[in-house]
Amino acid sequence: MRKLMHILMLSCRKATELIDKQLHFTLTPLEKTRLFMHTLFCDACTQYKKQSRFLHKLFFKDHTHPEKLPVSDTTGLKKKILNNLEEK
Amino acid sequence: MSPVSGNIKDDPHSTIKSWVELYTDSLFAWACRRVENNSTAEDLVQETFLSAFQSIGKFKGESNPGTWLFSILNHKIIDHHRKKMRNAASPVKHSEPERFFDDNGSWRKEARPQPWHIDEAHLLDNTAFRDILDQCMKKLPDHWFSAVQLKYLEEKDSKDICQDLQLSPSNFWQILHRAKLQLRQCLEKHWFKKER
Repeated sequence: MRKLMHILMLSCRKATELIDKQLHFTLTPLEKTRLFMHTLFCDACTQYKKQSRFLHKLFFKDHTHPEKLPVSDTTGLKKKILNNLEEK
Repeated sequence: MSPVSGNIKDDPHSTIKSWVELYTDSLFAWACRRVENNSTAEDLVQETFLSAFQSIGKFKGESNPGTWLFSILNHKIIDHHRKKMRNAASPVKHSEPERFFDDNGSWRKEARPQPWHIDEAHLLDNTAFRDILDQCMKKLPDHWFSAVQLKYLEEKDSKDICQDLQLSPSNFWQILHRAKLQLRQCLEKHWFKKER
């Protein structure tokens, strides 16, 4: 029984690794089972999983919406670019 | 102001000048958020217009110049981050002091994730949140920041990204994982805790 527990139980450190690995690669069946067992009993890692998913979605959205960005003063930059092009 | 497609090849100089006026603001704002500092962003926007000028013959008059310029800029941003990743001495430092977990691998008390109240729909339109997100992003070690940018900018599988970088997949997701741990904590501290 203890051996079984050892195989099934993960540390939080390991569990959070698997949570993020799962977003980019497929987990092995054993990894999946161990992660499932861990999050069943661990509130902190359950929160981590939710938040990690949320950040993942947020980054994707953020990287595909070039509009709606705050605009800074680019007068100097424009001048530089135009001078640069003038030489070509 | 808007260039007539017929003129582009006859007068590339004035076409590109009008584009500089029209698109520099949005290209620069985008680049600032995607690279680690504003002077790099300036360089990349400059190079974008230079490349555009040199290959203006390839531009198809019927498409939107903004879209075309953005795709050139994104290629430059991706190249920039690839270089950073390749030059990083050791992608993951295993010896770094563990800030989040104790020796048994359990969450340290002060690092345990707290529940967040998330208003997903409007969060990215909230400039205050964006500022915090940008600040947290830029606190990441340089090549972690690059890894996150590559992951989300390139419409590619993580496996292909690793191949391009000659990085083992486990190194790559370890970097993304560590970056995520740090970002999560930073956002909780500076946004989600205060919001409550």
